[in-house]
Amino acid sequence: MGTSMETGGESPAEFFAENKNIAGFDNPGKCLYTTVRELVENSLDSAESISELPFVELTIEEIGKSKFNSMIGLVDRERIDEELYDDYETAKAREKRLAKEARAQEMQAKNAALGKKFKEQPAAKGMKGRGEASFYRVTCKDNGKGMPHDDIPNMFGRVLSGTKYGLKQTRGKFGLGAKMALIWSKMSTGLPIEISSSMKSQNYISFCRLDIDIHRNIPHVHLHEKRINDDRWHGAEIQVVIEGNWTTYRSKILHYMRQMAVITPYAQFLFKFISDTSDKNVTIKFARRTDVMPPVPLETKHHPSSVDLLLIKRLIAETSKQNLLQFLQHEFVNIGKAHAERLIGEMGPEFSPKMPIKSLTDQQIVRIHQLFRQAKFDDPTGDCLSPAGEYNLRLGIIKELHPDMVATYSGSAQVFEGHPFVVEAGVSVGGKDVKQGLNIFRFANRIPLLFEQGADVVTRTALKRINWASYKINQMQDKIGVFVSIVSTKIPFKGTGKEYIGDDITEIATAVKYAIQQCCIQLKSKIMKKMQAREQQERKRNLSKYIPDATGAVYDVLREMAQLHASKRKHYEEEDADILKKVSARLITKDTLTEKLAQHVEKVDYEMALEYATQSGVSEEPREYIYKRLNLKTNSSTSTVPSLFSD
Amino acid sequence: MADTTKAKKRRRADPESSSSDQLQLPFKNRLKPDSVILESLHSLLKSTSSSSSTSSKPLTLSDLSLSSACREVTDLSLLSVQSAIESLILSLTHSILSGRGFSFNVPSRAATNQLYVPELDRIVLKDKNTLRPFANNSSVRKSTITAKILSLIHQLCLRSIHVTKRDLFYTDVKLFQDQTQSDAVLDDVSCMLGCTRSSLNVIAAEKGVVVGRLIFSDNGDMIDCTKMGMGGKAIPPNIDRVGDMQSDALFILLVEKDAAYIRLAEDRFYNRFPCIIVTAKGQPDVATRLFLRKMKMELKLPVLALVDSDPYGLKILSVYGCGSKNMSYDSANLTTPDIKWLGIRPSDLDKYKIPEQCRLPMTEQDIKTGKDLLEEDFVKKNPGWVEELSLMVKTKQKAEIQALSSFGFQYLSEVYLPLKLQQQDWL
Repeated sequence: MGTSMETGGESPAEFFAENKNIAGFDNPGKCLYTTVRELVENSLDSAESISELPFVELTIEEIGKSKFNSMIGLVDRERIDEELYDDYETAKAREKRLAKEARAQEMQAKNAALGKKFKEQPAAKGMKGRGEASFYRVTCKDNGKGMPHDDIPNMFGRVLSGTKYGLKQTRGKFGLGAKMALIWSKMSTGLPIEISSSMKSQNYISFCRLDIDIHRNIPHVHLHEKRINDDRWHGAEIQVVIEGNWTTYRSKILHYMRQMAVITPYAQFLFKFISDTSDKNVTIKFARRTDVMPPVPLETKHHPSSVDLLLIKRLIAETSKQNLLQFLQHEFVNIGKAHAERLIGEMGPEFSPKMPIKSLTDQQIVRIHQLFRQAKFDDPTGDCLSPAGEYNLRLGIIKELHPDMVATYSGSAQVFEGHPFVVEAGVSVGGKDVKQGLNIFRFANRIPLLFEQGADVVTRTALKRINWASYKINQMQDKIGVFVSIVSTKIPFKGTGKEYIGDDITEIATAVKYAIQQCCIQLKSKIMKKMQAREQQERKRNLSKYIPDATGAVYDVLREMAQLHASKRKHYEEEDADILKKVSARLITKDTLTEKLAQHVEKVDYEMALEYATQSGVSEEPREYIYKRLNLKTNSSTSTVPSLFSD
Repeated sequence: MADTTKAKKRRRADPESSSSDQLQLPFKNRLKPDSVILESLHSLLKSTSSSSSTSSKPLTLSDLSLSSACREVTDLSLLSVQSAIESLILSLTHSILSGRGFSFNVPSRAATNQLYVPELDRIVLKDKNTLRPFANNSSVRKSTITAKILSLIHQLCLRSIHVTKRDLFYTDVKLFQDQTQSDAVLDDVSCMLGCTRSSLNVIAAEKGVVVGRLIFSDNGDMIDCTKMGMGGKAIPPNIDRVGDMQSDALFILLVEKDAAYIRLAEDRFYNRFPCIIVTAKGQPDVATRLFLRKMKMELKLPVLALVDSDPYGLKILSVYGCGSKNMSYDSANLTTPDIKWLGIRPSDLDKYKIPEQCRLPMTEQDIKTGKDLLEEDFVKKNPGWVEELSLMVKTKQKAEIQALSSFGFQYLSEVYLPLKLQQQDWL
């Protein structure tokens, strides 16, 4: 790889600089968002790798233009020749604008006079030329593993194409992490990145200020020194100054933090936004709610069904095994010795178990690949995966949404093209800050997915393949939260930004549907119980509501009959005539009927309440446990696991 | 032969339709002169009237000794409806005054309570009842609405006026919430009182239309359906005011769709082949079904049906023929026996070479409906229908009447129907 740089080919850093959109750096707003993501995800990975409960502190600081200029040592210049600028307003345009504003004002006054609601006119956009970029200093501090002092420059200042040998469930989508952020800062501000890091049991802090030589793909170190570490901190703090757009991506970033808190309830996040105008400032603390951490995902070997030709060649180049038998047996999962021998027999006469692995010709490798594709192998186990866990998912949902009801389900590992995956789902009903209808939260390898929701397998499944009504859930009116977390050694992302999982993979679509349905089934019984209980409470009111209508209808007929009877136009039987006489004499009125019917309703209600009490007394279930749980939460901030939750 | 047809056409139709146009119509040359076709129709009429005269008295439920008891309603006079309501209300009053609340005993109109009687060739209602107590969460609404409807009908009886179902709904929108609720209870009430819906003096808005060789009186006015313009005469909602039917038609043509009806009416199809053309524009309403039955009974004409070649077309045919489940309590008055399926039949698609682009693939739902229909008794009794329906389910293709327009807008009236009639191609 090093050679390609010198031969004038494009360096990986250059490639990413030119195609930054594939790594999620489309526009300044998205760049800010992706930078935040990469830094936060790195921090979580780092803390989890040493089994430390993560604490991540993220700060975004808005930097005004003059401040930015002073940072890079540029003197602020006033505009002298106004007409030179893109946002210069000619006299004609000004006239037009003023006329338009006057019209708008007139309309508003008219609407206000009529008492009509009117939309607040969007404040006239402060004409923003391209020059008027906003800059942000993004700082992310964690309590993770830290980095070895000498490795820091290369870890940031050199973009390596993925040379991961094994296979592992990872958070990052490209494995570029902070490097992309550095490239972006280089492109937009030219300011270097600052890294402080300390590892456990190190008595110093490594400080490094560097930027990247994009063309040669090597770090350019400004400062690299050791500083004193008084409070025995370990972890990393990364600071980068980039161009961004807080206004348009504010909600995305906040959503990201919130959803991250849902899926990682064992982490503590402190998010800050600082700007010159203090009313824009935001500080949110996402508290840690549990100290149960999912296990670290294990590195696993490739499954024979999942490898491609290139990968086989790379495995052959990198293996330490000598012969074909050992290679098959040790470099792949689910191939035992006997199985490997059978496979070699099947490959053809020119293959033998003892043949040196490095001597395989290209044709022979193709033959191996073909066999791998056709032969049947046991499915890989999900042991290497680290799903969030039903408990964590549930806790996260309760913590962030405070729903009335929640159900979670964790599926068993399944396989898609040789890669194991696990689908976990949670469905909640009700809660604060939840809008009516379906609210879909998607997670892939325990990171939230926020973009391109429409085409995603989870969205499609929840919208089209789940019959919510059959679970007594109102798709339009209930506040439904749907949480689906998929973890896999390889998430089949779609789209350039890797922002959604396609709907065309039957295995995943089926697993997602099943998981959501399992949640719904759990919810249904709870909802039914609740409805029954509500019915009990409201029965009397509901019945009484109809008394006037019913007695009114009956009385209307009686009154007509009484008139007919009185005028002798129709003859009635004795007993009936008696009633009609009473109606005529106003001894029986509508009120009489109402009163009698109300008494009856009262009696029936009492009887049914009694019956319900005896019935539900037998099969009492802890159906109000969520409320208990919420109360519990306010009392104690420690996160013990109540057994109530493990159902 | 072709000459005579052409000559006839020129006399009859507008001169605009050029001869080259007619040449394009497939199967046109197979048409014999109209007189031959009329001949076949005469024989159909004869056989129909003779068969109906042999069994002059139609079978009724009481003639059969069925294992399960069945329920039927009759036309009741206003006075008896009034008395029935009054005695019901009095019993409610007794019940309320004695502190027992009240409840209605309503005949169940659920699917499980329906029975197809092959001897009668229609669906009847069995005798299962459901109790509708007031003091119950699930039935309080319905029983209140039932009481309200009863009181409204009572007023209609006293004043002897007719109102529409819509009127009824608007008397208490707040209680009824939507019209389907008041409509459903209205059917329950007629079941409960044992009378037809028309006896309750509640009518539905006009939906069906009739055109052709028919003269009848509507509320005293004589109507000549050949002189009703292109749209025809709306079928009057209260059948009791219809009388004095006269006709020189040879058959009744039942059309599923408005579009086909308009085509036939505009082409004055009924003048070429004397007939009466009726449509209810989709699922037939009560008035159209009553009217068709009355025509069939009084004029003793054969009924030929022209419906879409899809499961719903056959379903509509079945509603005319054996009644709907919703109104099975009154099937005796609403059904018209012996309706012949003229077209468009699944076998016609290939027989008349209907182009591929005019046929539609059946949806899963269509196929399911088709398969369900194959299980229905009214289909099974007619082997020809079973064969056609099986063909439809097998080919998974459907076609609407309008598919024939691919050969020209007038293909239906000029070629398809005459040819069908000539070949006596009905089931």
